[in-house]
Amino acid sequence: MHGFHGRLLHVDLSKGRPSWHDLPERRLRAFLGGIGLGTSLLYEHAPPGVEPLSPANPLIFTSAPLVGTNLTTTAKFAVVTKSPLTGFIGDSLSSSHFALELKRTGLDAVVITGRAPSPVYLSIADGHVEVRDAAHLKGKSPAETEAAIRSAERSRGFRVAAIGRAGESCVRFATISNEGRHAGRGGAGAVMGSKNLKAIAVHGTRETSVANPKQVDTIVDALRERSLGSLTDKYRSIGTVANLAVFDRLGTLPTHNFQRSTFDDAEALSGETLTENHFSRRHGCASCTIRCERLFRSLRGEEQRLEYETLFALGPLCEIRDPEAVLEAARLCDLYGMDTISTGGTLAWAMECGERGLLPETRQLGLGFGRPEGILAAIPLIAAREGIGALLAQASRRAALDVGGESAYWAMHVKGMELPGYDPRSLKTMALGLAVSPRGACHNRSGAYEADFSGAVDRLRGDRGRGALVAASEDFAAVLDSLIVCKFLRKCFADFYGEAADLLTHVTGWPASDRELRRIGERINIVKRLFNQREGWRPEDDWLPSRLLTEALPSGVAEGVGLSASELREMIGGYYEARELDANGFVTEARLGELEAGVEPCQATRHGAY
Amino acid sequence: MTERSGEMRTQGMPDASAIVLAGGQSSRMGRPKASLLFDGEPLLVHIVRALSRLFSEIVVVAAPAQELPFVPAMVVRDQVAHQGPVGGLCYGLKATGGECSFVTSCDVAFLNSRLISYLLSRIPDCDVVVPHWQQRLQPLHAVYRRSVLPLLEGQLERGDLRPVHLFDRVRTCTVGEDEIRRFDPDGLSFLNMNTPADYEEALSRWERLGRSNLPSSAEPPVTCTVELFGVARLLAKTRAVSLSLPSGATLSHVYAALGATLPMLLGRVISPEGERLSPGYACNLNGLDFVRTTTATINSGDTIFILSADAGG
Repeated sequence: MHGFHGRLLHVDLSKGRPSWHDLPERRLRAFLGGIGLGTSLLYEHAPPGVEPLSPANPLIFTSAPLVGTNLTTTAKFAVVTKSPLTGFIGDSLSSSHFALELKRTGLDAVVITGRAPSPVYLSIADGHVEVRDAAHLKGKSPAETEAAIRSAERSRGFRVAAIGRAGESCVRFATISNEGRHAGRGGAGAVMGSKNLKAIAVHGTRETSVANPKQVDTIVDALRERSLGSLTDKYRSIGTVANLAVFDRLGTLPTHNFQRSTFDDAEALSGETLTENHFSRRHGCASCTIRCERLFRSLRGEEQRLEYETLFALGPLCEIRDPEAVLEAARLCDLYGMDTISTGGTLAWAMECGERGLLPETRQLGLGFGRPEGILAAIPLIAAREGIGALLAQASRRAALDVGGESAYWAMHVKGMELPGYDPRSLKTMALGLAVSPRGACHNRSGAYEADFSGAVDRLRGDRGRGALVAASEDFAAVLDSLIVCKFLRKCFADFYGEAADLLTHVTGWPASDRELRRIGERINIVKRLFNQREGWRPEDDWLPSRLLTEALPSGVAEGVGLSASELREMIGGYYEARELDANGFVTEARLGELEAGVEPCQATRHGAY
Repeated sequence: MTERSGEMRTQGMPDASAIVLAGGQSSRMGRPKASLLFDGEPLLVHIVRALSRLFSEIVVVAAPAQELPFVPAMVVRDQVAHQGPVGGLCYGLKATGGECSFVTSCDVAFLNSRLISYLLSRIPDCDVVVPHWQQRLQPLHAVYRRSVLPLLEGQLERGDLRPVHLFDRVRTCTVGEDEIRRFDPDGLSFLNMNTPADYEEALSRWERLGRSNLPSSAEPPVTCTVELFGVARLLAKTRAVSLSLPSGATLSHVYAALGATLPMLLGRVISPEGERLSPGYACNLNGLDFVRTTTATINSGDTIFILSADAGG
């Protein structure tokens, strides 16, 4: 087999026993690797209705066929589990050297179930698997944990993915972190913490063969060349923080917990201003020519990585205008291993509760819009689940259930996942993408905003035709996330499906076609929906927060623009049609059969409180 | 340019270039027409400057060893000297990137942007748009599609050097006097200079027009603001610039003017020739519409955002 190893490692932490299993070629060809393979394995390994923080919930790490091929941006891996934030599929990507080492272990997937009686870490070196004591690592940050394990393993070849204190405390939006990057959204870190698993260390020597090395090299060289052109200039020259200033002017920068979509102090926090005043250095993942990461230096001299989503969530969303405060809040999130979007979204919800007379603890903590001291005090409490942190560690949807009153109206989430930094009222295709995404309010499992920014559609007015655009965007993302290729390379393909099929053919030896890849994208998305359906998805879960359907935008170029329920319903109807689901959004057996998904159909059920 | 009343139609115009045929022998004039001083500058520079208000790509076709004043345009040379207008048309059309080209000679001082825009607006339905003024077709004040190039090359091979022989073989749209007078009542667009007497007459007419008509008849320029984001802002070290453009300006004029004002953007954010944005960059009008063509008309007060085409974060 080329491009894959065809092997899966299953570790049951309750029993402490590893077992190895074959991954048949048919399954790999149907789902590729990364998110696709993880989705397929989750459907198989998660008992229906499993409680996400219970031992039975599988935590799945997957590699992918392009990892290790020298193709720029492909040093990536996926983490898939049932999300404790949403109760639905939780799929995240992270990248860099951990991805390369994971592939070199000779495994395409690692499935972890059970719960260790005390904190442990998992050491995987080629065929040798060991569960080791990690009591001494309790409370350490992911970076400290990485350093300690690499030192203890006595080989710099080991790479480590770890949780911080938030993961140990099962904060529902805890991340798994490696080399400063995060499998960030959906709370996979909490699942890892619930298993008493502090970290996974991987090291290997098994290179993966490719079927036609010369042809692969030709494609790799061409894409490397293109990756250094103007198509990626934004990522190479300024990074994703470039979004903030322009989103403000386009009226799509969520501000003050989505009460506005423009921010008076956008220039103070803009990527351009940060670059001028705080830029420290540029960094990149392993095997990446784009190197989009930007590290900024605070007045205290500390370097901090910052992306647009972190900047928006800890900045305008909470009305924080001081770059120093945003850098420090981002540093704390990294230190404890917490998703910055859900952290910012949950804090903004708490601030609005305080602003409107609920949640008196916010006043004691100084947690209010525009008050840096409040968020800097609250983040450590969340990580430790202390005081008001115990409430906020559940994220906004569950916290609102506890607080009651009108507070659910202020919880800006989809399926329990806090919204990213795109106001859906001024980006209507994105509104649909956020509403129907199996992961929740997600800007990565589709790039629906691309249609809004293309000029091909009216971004301020939704219609039924958006359904097909969102479905196509989800399928495109699923293929990228399963090969795996970074989305920042996506525009460097002149004909993505054709070129990706050629690449897959030369890596695996399979005669892949563009049509086959499109079907794989559809198949992955359908199985995701089927998994959610099995875990209790209902049509009302494909929806947006009431605020977005009630309040028009009060400022900026899109002033007065709103999003009506009927407009959203029309777009969702179009999406169900495009996906060939039934009228209520359920996957039909006929559709499953057409896509040869290889999974058993299921009845919709609602398990537990998710 | 001398502007008169009339209707400007530039919306829907295909990508167009301008070609100036400068390779003539100037035998009756007795000295090179391209270098004749007109309004304080060489006549060729005067013409190119006037055309640059309408076109981002201008090609000057000259004879092989011909000396030219410096012009802000691409200069191409005839492979064989003095093959007449058909030779110049062939070399000019080959050099342009546009779908069609407005072609003129280098001895007309009174180009009229409204008339030129009108001629361009007619090209979507035909291959050549040629004015008919005082019983004569005006092939050197006409618009040609690049697709007629093979036919012109065939003429050149046969030694048939008259452009009008092309007109029967392609879809030719003739613009009559009544239409022309809407934009150029006196037909000054066709007033070329062949002799020293023509030159003196043109100079004195220019002075008369300058004194009496130009200030009142000139249309107010379009003033717009360009806001820069991301890489463009970092390179230019400014958030916004104000541009003054000719009436009827399109986005291609914006890019050309932006490149001239902020040359550090050329080759990075704007194409090296200044005619369009580089791949990976996008334009938004007034914060609302993302515009992908270069022919969208700009109005006074418009704000144009230059940003990355990729909103991923």
